[in-house]
Amino acid sequence: MTIAAEKLAQYDEYVEALEILDEESRFEYIIDIGKRADKTAFPAECMDDAHLMHGCMSKVWIIHSRENDRSIFRGQSDAIIVKGLVSMMTGSFSGLTSGELAEVTLDHVRGLNLGALTMQRQVGMMAMLKHMQKLSLQAERAEAAD
Amino acid sequence: MNAIGQPAGQPTRRAGHNIEGGFDVERIRQDFPILSRQVHGKPLVYFDSGASAQKPRAVIDAMTEVLENEYTNVHRGAHYLSQTLTDRYEGVRETIARFINAPSENQIVITRNTTEAINLVAATYGRKFLGRGDGVVVSTMEHHANIVPWQMLRDEKGIELKVAPIDDTGALDLDAYAALLDGNTKLVAITHCSNVLGTMVPAAEIVRLAHDRGIPVLLDGSQAVVHSTVDVQALDADFYVFTGHKLYGPNAIGVLYGKAELLAQMPPYQGGGDMIASVTFEKTTYQEPPHRFEAGTPPIVEAIGLGAAMDYVSAIGMEAIAAHEKSLLTYATERLMAQPGIQLFGTAPGKAAILSFIQQGIHPFDTAATLDREGVAVRVGQHCAEPLMGRLGVDGTVRASLAMYNTTAEVDTMIRALERARTLFG
Repeated sequence: MTIAAEKLAQYDEYVEALEILDEESRFEYIIDIGKRADKTAFPAECMDDAHLMHGCMSKVWIIHSRENDRSIFRGQSDAIIVKGLVSMMTGSFSGLTSGELAEVTLDHVRGLNLGALTMQRQVGMMAMLKHMQKLSLQAERAEAAD
Repeated sequence: MNAIGQPAGQPTRRAGHNIEGGFDVERIRQDFPILSRQVHGKPLVYFDSGASAQKPRAVIDAMTEVLENEYTNVHRGAHYLSQTLTDRYEGVRETIARFINAPSENQIVITRNTTEAINLVAATYGRKFLGRGDGVVVSTMEHHANIVPWQMLRDEKGIELKVAPIDDTGALDLDAYAALLDGNTKLVAITHCSNVLGTMVPAAEIVRLAHDRGIPVLLDGSQAVVHSTVDVQALDADFYVFTGHKLYGPNAIGVLYGKAELLAQMPPYQGGGDMIASVTFEKTTYQEPPHRFEAGTPPIVEAIGLGAAMDYVSAIGMEAIAAHEKSLLTYATERLMAQPGIQLFGTAPGKAAILSFIQQGIHPFDTAATLDREGVAVRVGQHCAEPLMGRLGVDGTVRASLAMYNTTAEVDTMIRALERARTLFG
């Protein structure tokens, strides 16, 4: 299975935007995304332990819902930069089935060209991806069990 | 604002740039190759030595020399290389003993790190001498390495963990500590220097109060041994533990010092080669301390590196290093507190050169990421001290931990980076 190109349109947009920026501008780009995400309402009641990704440097909450077999994610963090990162991840990979999501790999995350932030322990983007994949799979299994 | 956090005041007297005085920090910096590199196109400012210090050329060369010309296993060869390297390896035990003024090298157990040293005491002394209802006193500001091993023993043996509080400056509340020594307390395991607050506890007094009631004391010296002269006999510590990598040595080597009579009574920690006297399928007998506690091939190259690090520190002189760090801490504290919105955690008198802080309204991760963009390496988060974060009322802090090779100019770089963080996030 391969992921249809149109499903990764938002991801491709981020990749294109980031690849023309130098390292310093990429840093400020993430901050801008984080600040924009800050203005988007995230349900306060979902900033709880049930939606928390455990990490010691900052907190990340991810909400998952399903629409016609597709996973929709929304993310939040108490740090602006991490909010930018989680916003990029949820924006890039919402709308995929759990099977498609399972095909998103480290290479996709590396494609964003964010260096150390890619693999950073606990709040890193790979950790977010794995968490999103797990949420999607859990929801699919729960639906199948109903 | 949390009670321990100190509000930012008005700018105070700005220290001059000659605070290094007779301490030739530029000369010392030349001994550390990594300090000449750049990060994100900016000169590296390494303020994360509390997590792991950088290594001087003397350590790198000593380890390279062993690997290139002297390497083999120790304690088990009849050949030349094994005999000479065993001599060097065991010689390091003497260096360590001298460094902390231990009465004998036989009281120096080589471990992987502080964590293993504490686990070793919990698993041997703890399992043998502590039982249901016995109390172990720790403090609010312990690193997880000095909490979790005792919790594991609590779950296994039913001991009780008792926590000595700190006051609003981050100093240990000695009266409350003394009160915890009554009743069922059978061991004190306490940090000599907080890795978050920089608080130096009155270790000799802590030991004296415990000994008055016949209670032995383990001191976690991971940070203290880097910033001050440690004399285990003067402290009268029963156990003293620290790690090599914070002391400008390599990682994967740590030290457990123990009083001879205690080590002699402790059963082995792990079983295997090197720690035995004789093995048959029917019966195995064990070596005397310290080898009884060192199963398997030890960290040979790392030991040589740690010995070189201690020689390096000793040649400069711990008192000179401490004086430099104290001046630097004073300068950094003044500059930091002159910034708007800084909340500093830990202001106990005599603290070590560790600054934990937050910029109000800015998440510590955002602060630290901005500092990183300017080449300034700090640690952010809970610093393996989650209970202390609860006491401070924060989820995490930024921690700048200073070392012998840091300068006032580097502090200035950090201050400029904090100003940028305010622009970006304020």
